[in-house]
Amino acid sequence: MNGRRIEVLALLAPALILTLVVFVLPLVRFLSLAFTAPEGTFATFVALAESPVYRRVMLNSFVVAAVVTAITAALAWPLAYLLARVRGLWFTLMIYGVLFPLWISILVRTYSWMLLLERHGPVNRAIQAMGISDTPLPLLFNHTGVLVGMVHVLLPYMVLPLYGAMRAIDPRLMQASDGLGAGLWQSFRRIWLPLTLPGLAGGATFVFLLSLGFYITPALLGGRTSIMLPTLIVAFITEHFNWPMAAAASIALLAAVAVLMLAATRFLKLDRGMFAR
Amino acid sequence: MNRLPLPWRIAANMATAAVLAFLVAPILAVIPASFNKASFIYLPPKEWSALWYGRFFDDAEWLRALMNSLKLATLATLVAVPLGTLAAIGLSRAGRGLALASSALFLAPMVVPIVVVSVAIYRSALDVSMNGTLLALTLSHAVLALPFVVINVGISLRAVNPAWPLAAAGLGAGPWRIFRTITLPVILPGIAGGAVFSFMTSFDEAVLTIFLADHSTKTLPVKLWETVRLEFTPVLAVAAVVMIGLSVALFVLAQALARRNGEKA
Repeated sequence: MNGRRIEVLALLAPALILTLVVFVLPLVRFLSLAFTAPEGTFATFVALAESPVYRRVMLNSFVVAAVVTAITAALAWPLAYLLARVRGLWFTLMIYGVLFPLWISILVRTYSWMLLLERHGPVNRAIQAMGISDTPLPLLFNHTGVLVGMVHVLLPYMVLPLYGAMRAIDPRLMQASDGLGAGLWQSFRRIWLPLTLPGLAGGATFVFLLSLGFYITPALLGGRTSIMLPTLIVAFITEHFNWPMAAAASIALLAAVAVLMLAATRFLKLDRGMFAR
Repeated sequence: MNRLPLPWRIAANMATAAVLAFLVAPILAVIPASFNKASFIYLPPKEWSALWYGRFFDDAEWLRALMNSLKLATLATLVAVPLGTLAAIGLSRAGRGLALASSALFLAPMVVPIVVVSVAIYRSALDVSMNGTLLALTLSHAVLALPFVVINVGISLRAVNPAWPLAAAGLGAGPWRIFRTITLPVILPGIAGGAVFSFMTSFDEAVLTIFLADHSTKTLPVKLWETVRLEFTPVLAVAAVVMIGLSVALFVLAQALARRNGEKA
């Protein structure tokens, strides 16, 4: 029995050592810098909480994450619904359409949007051609650009769990409610919707968490007014060389992520939704 | 809901088509963009030319960035795959507590926002004067790739019937022989799938590499990131197409491997 324990530890050891030395140790060392500001142990957190600029950045991060989550949910709904119903070639085509973007670098996907949304880009020309606006709309380097780019990158993470939940619904349930005389709306509200809710909640948690940590897309498509937490963390380091503030902002971000993850795993069995992939 | 009325069905179909187009079409926009003849990207191009492909492959800096990316992705995969495979086998044999704690640790780099991971590793690399080195880049990319190997190999390990190694042991086979003749053939597609994921993770990684790489270790995504805000040249679209091309090749490979993995599971 003891030999077996040693064998298990020997198998795990190389990966554990790599993760501890290259991930855990740097993380702990970096985060502990938050308490080393010359003004006092918790001065960085006080500064984060009191400054209206930082407060706006944090609020902005949550608002953007919430809006992105809501839009992806609305867009993912019909796609996941059809995905759960079609078979054969259509299913293959559609699922590849959802999975393929996940394989393309986020940087490339974001760059594509820069080409499409720029002042004289195809989207603006289409808008003008359709007579929606006479002058090119500012679609880039503001909230619009960030939202479009983030929704595009994060949509598959909403579609997959939602599809998983819809797929798992027994079609006989709907037939039964039909047979018992329930109308379309009643069947939807009392059977379909409650059964897809765990998938929706799982997808929403994913998208919200990933949104909070997004860096590349807001940095390239956003402007000065749409700064989010990750951008702030980087700015603390590259522009102000203020490591304690960067660490404090990172702790704030991690705390938000941890609370959401705990809530998610507690209230919905996230591990069940996790694998539609 | 079989009996969704026709107008609703049409609406759902149209919405789905639109959403799918929104998912896929924008990514493909860089392809026509890369064939612009002018030195400024216009979509669709007024005049088509493969001129900028020549510029990309003639430019020593772009070429070196591409080579750096391929080299780094290969090295990170060579580190992540053996370590992740051993760890997955270890997890499958560990007690519940140890397995939970270790897999939480292995998966943590997927959960912690990449900006925080990057800045933390950058700081430690600075402290030990290792920033910009290939070693630091390889090890940190390997940490990011590790979860994908552990997950892929872990899934394929489930296909190993626990009775087989016992039977082999009963017939007198040693642990290495059992691994080589029973476990390895079954988990090989999982290992290969993990390797593809590792390579892709490293090749596409941008945030960490922006901080960690220096002029001589700069990768393709970092070079793209640096140039993207300065110029609107079609060379950038060519670089993006090169990255997409590699992704598509690996996507096809991964699908084929996943199918084999699925057949055995």
